[in-house]
Amino acid sequence: MHDAPLIGPYNPEDVLAWEADGPRPARQFLSDVSHLADSLPDRPAVLNLLSSRYEFLVGFAAAMLRGQVTLLPQSRAPQTLRRIAGDSRESYCLTNQDDPVEGIESVIVRRQGGIAGWPKRMPHIPLNQIAAIAFTSGSTGQPMPNRKTWGALTAVARATGSRLGLQAGQQAAVVATVPHQHMFGLEASVMLPIVHGLVMHAGRPLFPADIRDALAEVTGKRILVTTPLHLRACVTEGVRVLPLGLILSATAPLSRSLAQEAERHFQAEVHEIFGFAEAGSVAERRTTEGDRWRPLDGVRLAQDQAAWTVQAAYLPTPVRVPDRITVDAEGQFVVHGREADQINVAGHRVSLGDLNQKLLEIEGVQDGVFFLPEEKAELVTRLMACVVAPGKTVEEIQQALRARIDPVFLPRPLLLVPQLPRNGTGKLPREALLMFARRHAKGLPHET
Amino acid sequence: MTDSFASSLERDMAGLIVQTLKLKVDPGTIDPTQALFGDGLGLDSIDALELSLAISQTYGYQLKSSDPEIKAIFSSLRALANAIEKNRTK
Repeated sequence: MHDAPLIGPYNPEDVLAWEADGPRPARQFLSDVSHLADSLPDRPAVLNLLSSRYEFLVGFAAAMLRGQVTLLPQSRAPQTLRRIAGDSRESYCLTNQDDPVEGIESVIVRRQGGIAGWPKRMPHIPLNQIAAIAFTSGSTGQPMPNRKTWGALTAVARATGSRLGLQAGQQAAVVATVPHQHMFGLEASVMLPIVHGLVMHAGRPLFPADIRDALAEVTGKRILVTTPLHLRACVTEGVRVLPLGLILSATAPLSRSLAQEAERHFQAEVHEIFGFAEAGSVAERRTTEGDRWRPLDGVRLAQDQAAWTVQAAYLPTPVRVPDRITVDAEGQFVVHGREADQINVAGHRVSLGDLNQKLLEIEGVQDGVFFLPEEKAELVTRLMACVVAPGKTVEEIQQALRARIDPVFLPRPLLLVPQLPRNGTGKLPREALLMFARRHAKGLPHET
Repeated sequence: MTDSFASSLERDMAGLIVQTLKLKVDPGTIDPTQALFGDGLGLDSIDALELSLAISQTYGYQLKSSDPEIKAIFSSLRALANAIEKNRTK
């Protein structure tokens, strides 16, 4: 087998997606893809910024038919987008809104009604074609590209579906609160439904009432693809929904107590996916049953000197696991935490080194450091930053950061300080930083 | 009082925003007409989610993205306070 069909087992009239104004049958989808593919500019790569999950999928599929790679930036900060577009020469961005990204050629997607472009034959995509590049933040400030073949994306979707007991062509729908430009979002909210012939809800509900409404719009077995943050919000708010078929959570660790509450509240099993952009989804667990992760079929963990790596037929080389894990004799594993430089805020992973680099690029910043304060029982723990920048205001630095990093990482608070508590070797021990921040919060003078 | 709030609800909302989102600003210095997201207070969608929970628990008003007015409601503290005044059940 050298290729795989663009979409799984749908009849032409089967609903593939549910948009705000109604259903999109598979026939309509293939027609929309065919139309768009004909009108895309001749370029090797595309930044797909379309906000509807359905339109994103149409753009993604059209790009593949034209042999174009879809770039998945780790943030929508304008500078990140320009850097990624600049590194992939001759790329353009697909957008349906009136907000073109300055400095990147924007193609506005215009929807055609009708199914005149229905191609009659199902398009097939070579398994070794690079379908997407997911960027992660390296420690040097440069985005790191992770290439995803069509073979890898379809293999992960099939392995996830078989682990979750999904049947091809069954009456089921996926509603997702996660962004589709994120690796987990692409895998669980786009690839999972289209490989199994399920309905994909095109929205991206945020508030609990939105999630309730989106779930009410679809029928059959309803699968909620989400994050601990959204689960916490729904449980706190007490939104009333009919029992769900399944909840799939990822992007941040889910506590067992929240998983139990969510299972009771939604009357559905909560399963978690462990993965990272470099390898994609790797393992699954039902959170209420224990902390052990079970690798997806075809995934194996192997020890390479001090580090663990993920191996799979669709990964060209073993990929290093960015967390500290211990693996048992059956190959199942427990996660103990991130490697020191890697942090996660509301499901967005970033390297602190990368953030520090971007902070230091700002004119007038002499020294500065990001750090994660001690975690409290809150929805989200935000980063803090201490910055040495005589003559600059907090607002000026925040403004400059906003153009460079994802807003979720903006420091809260950003403290302007006369100097950082560096030790004799110039290092900044975490303990010293936390102490420093505590003194600052109390308005005490800095020990310098 | 030297703040620029037009009602006690606006003043309460400023306190709720600062407390919920742990902003390092004095609630009294928030300009009720300033943008909450983007360039103003610099809030993001996770803040919106946290704020929506606090508003629902305090005032019994559930925010929805599908509300055609949602952009206007979140445009400033004053607009948010007005929407709460209209829709509150507590």
